[in-house]
Parts: sequence; structure tokens; C-alpha cells
Amino acid sequence: MNTIFKFIRKLFRIALIANVALFVVFFFDLDGKLLFNVVEPFLKKHYDSMERKDTLKAPYDMDKYPKYDFNS
Amino acid sequence: MAKKTFSKILKDFWYGKPHTAEEGGRRLGELHEDKTHLYKHREWRGVPDTMYYFYNIWLYNYIFMVKDIMVMHGPITFAKGLWRYRWIGQTYLPVLHWFDRGLEGMRGEAMKASAWHYRAMVSTTIRQFQHMFAADTRLNGGRQNDLYRHTIAHNETVWGGVFYPWDGEITNVPLEMIPYFVTCHVNSHTVLNYIDAVQSIGLPGDPCPMCQAEAGIFVLDDVPDYAPAVITCNEACDASVSTSTLQDWFFDKPLFSLPMPMLFDDPLVKDYVKREIEELWKFIEQQYGIPFSWEKLTKKLELQNELQRFEWEKWEVDAKTPYYPINGVAQALYRIYQSQYGDWEIWHVTDRKVRKILEKCVSKKIKTFPQTRHRVIAWSCAPLYYSNWCTWAYNCWGLNVVINMDSLMFDMEIRTDSYEHTLEDMAQYHMWAPMRRMAVGGMHHMFELWDYMKRFNCDMVAMYDQLQCKGVQGLHGLFEDEFRKRDIKAFWIPHALPDSRTVSRAEIRRLINDYMSTVMHEEPLDPSLLDFDDSMTW
Repeated sequence: MNTIFKFIRKLFRIALIANVALFVVFFFDLDGKLLFNVVEPFLKKHYDSMERKDTLKAPYDMDKYPKYDFNS
Repeated sequence: MAKKTFSKILKDFWYGKPHTAEEGGRRLGELHEDKTHLYKHREWRGVPDTMYYFYNIWLYNYIFMVKDIMVMHGPITFAKGLWRYRWIGQTYLPVLHWFDRGLEGMRGEAMKASAWHYRAMVSTTIRQFQHMFAADTRLNGGRQNDLYRHTIAHNETVWGGVFYPWDGEITNVPLEMIPYFVTCHVNSHTVLNYIDAVQSIGLPGDPCPMCQAEAGIFVLDDVPDYAPAVITCNEACDASVSTSTLQDWFFDKPLFSLPMPMLFDDPLVKDYVKREIEELWKFIEQQYGIPFSWEKLTKKLELQNELQRFEWEKWEVDAKTPYYPINGVAQALYRIYQSQYGDWEIWHVTDRKVRKILEKCVSKKIKTFPQTRHRVIAWSCAPLYYSNWCTWAYNCWGLNVVINMDSLMFDMEIRTDSYEHTLEDMAQYHMWAPMRRMAVGGMHHMFELWDYMKRFNCDMVAMYDQLQCKGVQGLHGLFEDEFRKRDIKAFWIPHALPDSRTVSRAEIRRLINDYMSTVMHEEPLDPSLLDFDDSMTW
């Protein structure tokens, strides 16, 4: 009985700490600050340095597909 | 005195500070950092509303975004897409800040109902990009998997309803709705890469920036290869035709062009569109080898009609009472997303939740926007990078945007009693596409504004002026004349749709401030919102 009570108390304490921590993140917009100052610049750097196919070199294949038969 | 101060502090703590400056005001403009517009701290809305926002909006949506990703093709698919495509990584991570911008200052039922609309849009967005990534040959070692073979790509201006006959067998995923349209609302920086890309290959900078961006995504090779065939649409706009040409070149797939005629409201033109829709169905049958199903079509249309009927109920409350609990930006974005994308389960779930809130507001006579000074109708197409301007306008000036043009375009049910009726109504729906009926649809439809003003009991017009839309630009003077003749209070919002560099958010606010002070001679409700620098914000 005592063990169960202790377990519930521990669980309650963890839930309380998690709630408080999340509320601090929420209230002080720490998620926004992290995304704006760290995550987005990092991802932008990655996307800017990506090698990309030169799409302008793709041929414009006018006759690649069979002629479409318009019935109406 | 001390007792009075203590009681005010206690009241402000429990209910949040009052809206207006005279009452001691909440001064929302002071919550933000300069330039980035990040919060110094999020708004304290009183105990019940702050806790609701924290648990039921902020935490709930983060959890359900993760859940949606887990359920819809999993986190590995998401991670692969995130690493490969700029529009996902740069955009969808700050999605909760898109909620913040739209819901700033909202309280009680208005905050709750508006947030449910945002939740539905997020879920539908996740559904689409996860489907794109799961089917994408680029993320799957060049393999055309089963999902790829059962997916069809199309321009976002093709209504999802034309694919209903293949419901459950072929999934339609619009090409630009996620990589372009939604990104502009969530993070306005992303789209600039694509606009610049298309201009870098020599295209002029003055056509519609929406079309530029949609082509630019292809120029930067940032489109997933997720379907064997594609349907395009001219959107009754020559820039859009050019986009389709570029898409045809870069996508290099069997393509069907579903035209939107320049003329409409003409029986002969409608017959032509009906035939085109039937041709589209034939094209899909040929490409995918799956027959058209009349049962599936009517079943889905009935579900869509259900959504439309609830929309009409909402409009009734909106038009005739002050108890409508959805703010301008949530109303506009949800409606255009839902009506263009077509029927999907999440819309029904959302509508059920919103119905409960709506009924509560009506039965308890809850004034959802108590500081309303003017009931505003917003006309023509809105700036995508500042769709939440109406949240600001309510907080600063008491301008309550009760309805907008985008929401009103598909003001119809689709009959399912016979093939002929269904096809006729579908053709009508197709011709009433976004930015079509009332933006480039001729004077009759553009001037439906006056009827809708009466119907929604509005006393002011927010008139959008898309500077790079040649269709609407020509009618600027006519509107000016009509406003004067009819003695209608109206202000203009110039913008370049997704491109925030042409007319900044600050410039839009300045124009509205000028109108409200010099023409209307009114004082702001919250003076801290008059002038602030958010030039670097998402």
C-alpha cells in the first residue's frame, strides 16, 4: 500500500515538474526562440548548400506521349 | 486605494487585462520583441483562457502534429522530406506561431472555435505532405511504389471534388497547396526563394507572384515526384497558363489541362466545361486503369454538401447576431482550404466541435467580439503573408472582419439526383474557383459585394488590391466610383499576394491607421498596436 502511495506521489511530482517546465517553454516562447534563432538558420544553410538539378537542361519533349484523342 | 489596486490585480490575473486603453488596457504590442516579433512572453489571457491556450491549443497541437506524422506514414518519411525540401523544413516547424498570430488577443469561445479551424488545416496539411513524401520516387530510391501509382497530382486550383469517383483508390494531392500556398501563411520567407528563382531564369517580375512562385518551386527542383500523371488548370489567368507550361516542361508527365473558360454564366460555356470534366474522367481511367464510380462520386458529394449546409448555418449566425465565434482569418483560411481541397473527415470532426461552441454562444448570447466598432467585409484576394491582418485590426481598431470574398465563392450545393444535374453543378463549382468568380469573373460577380454587405450587415469594406493581378487592377477606379456613389466606408489594402517585400505588413497597418484616424476620426482601442517593427517575422 505504501509502495503504491509512493509511486503515485512520484508520478504526481513528475507530472507537476513536466507541466511547469512546459508552461515555462510556452509562456516565454522558448519554442519560437529556438526555431527562429537556431533551427531555421541551420536548415536554411543546409538548403542553400544543397546540390540541385539544373531543371533548365531538361528537354521539352513535345511528342513523348501519344496524341490525346479528344472525343467530345 | 490599496484594496482597489489589489482587487484590480486579482481581476486582471483571473480574467486577463481588459481590451481597451481606457480600461487600463492589455497593450498587446508590448509583448513582442522588435523586428523578429517573437514574444518576450506569450499573452496572459486570464487563468481559464491561458490554461486553455496552453493545454488545448499549444500542447494539444504539438502532440497531435506528432501523432498525425506517426499515423500518416511515420517519422522517418517526415525526416527524409524535411531534409530534402526547403518548403517543409523552413515552414512547418513554426506552425504554432502561425496560431499565435491568428489568435492574438482572442478570448473565450472565439479563441476556441478559431483554434479548431487551425487544427483542421494543420492535420490536412500533414496528410498531404506525408503522402507526397511516402510516394516520392526521390525519397524512395527512384522506386515507383504502390502509393505513387495510386496518386494523382494537380494544380491547387483544380477542385478536389473532380476526383471523388476514385475515392479510396486514387489519392489526389495538389502540387502547390502545401509547397506554396500554406507556406506563405506560416512562414512568409520561404516563398521568396521560389519567386527569385523564377526571375533568375529571365522571367519578368511583374506577373502574378503566385504563378511565379509556383513555377519557381520547379526551377529550384523542389517538387516531390509523387504521381504518374498531372492535371493542370489555367485559373482563367494568362500567368497561370505560363506556369502550367513550365510545369509541363519540368514535370514531364502525362498531363491533362482542365480549362477554366474566360467566359462563364453562359449555358454554352457550361456545356463545354461539362464535356471537359468528362474528358478528365476519361483521362484518369486511361492512365490508372480504374473505372469511374458514380456511387463514390455521389457519396462524397453528399458529404461535401453537409459541410456546405453547416457553413450556411454559420453564415446565418454571423450575419444576424453578434454571437459568431470564428475570427476573420480562421473563417477565411478554413473555408477556402475546405471548399477547394474537397471533402475530408477532419472537416466533419471540426464542424461538430465548432457546432457545439456556436450553439453555446447563441443559446447563452455570448458576444464573441465585444469590442466590435465596425462590421467589415473583406473583398478580392488577401495578402497571404498577412492573412492575420484582421486579427490585428480587431485588436487595434475594433474592425471585425465578419466575412470575406474567398469564403463566399462556393456558395452552392451540388445536386446528386441525376448524372446530368451533378455534372452541371460540378461545372459551375469548377468555374467558381478561388480568385475566379469574384476577382477576375466580371463586373456582375465582383459587384456582388453590395448584396453581401447587406446580407452580412456590414458597414465597412476592406478592399484588397493585388498589385500584380492585371484582372482586378483594371477595376480599381470602378470600385472607387461605386464606394463614393453608395456612400460606403472603404479602405484599400495593397499587396503582392505572397511577396511581403512589395508592400510590407507595416505599410498595410499604416494605411489602415491613416484611414481610421483621418477619415473615421477614431481612437485606437489598443495604441500599442499602432506602430511596431515586425520586418523580420515569419
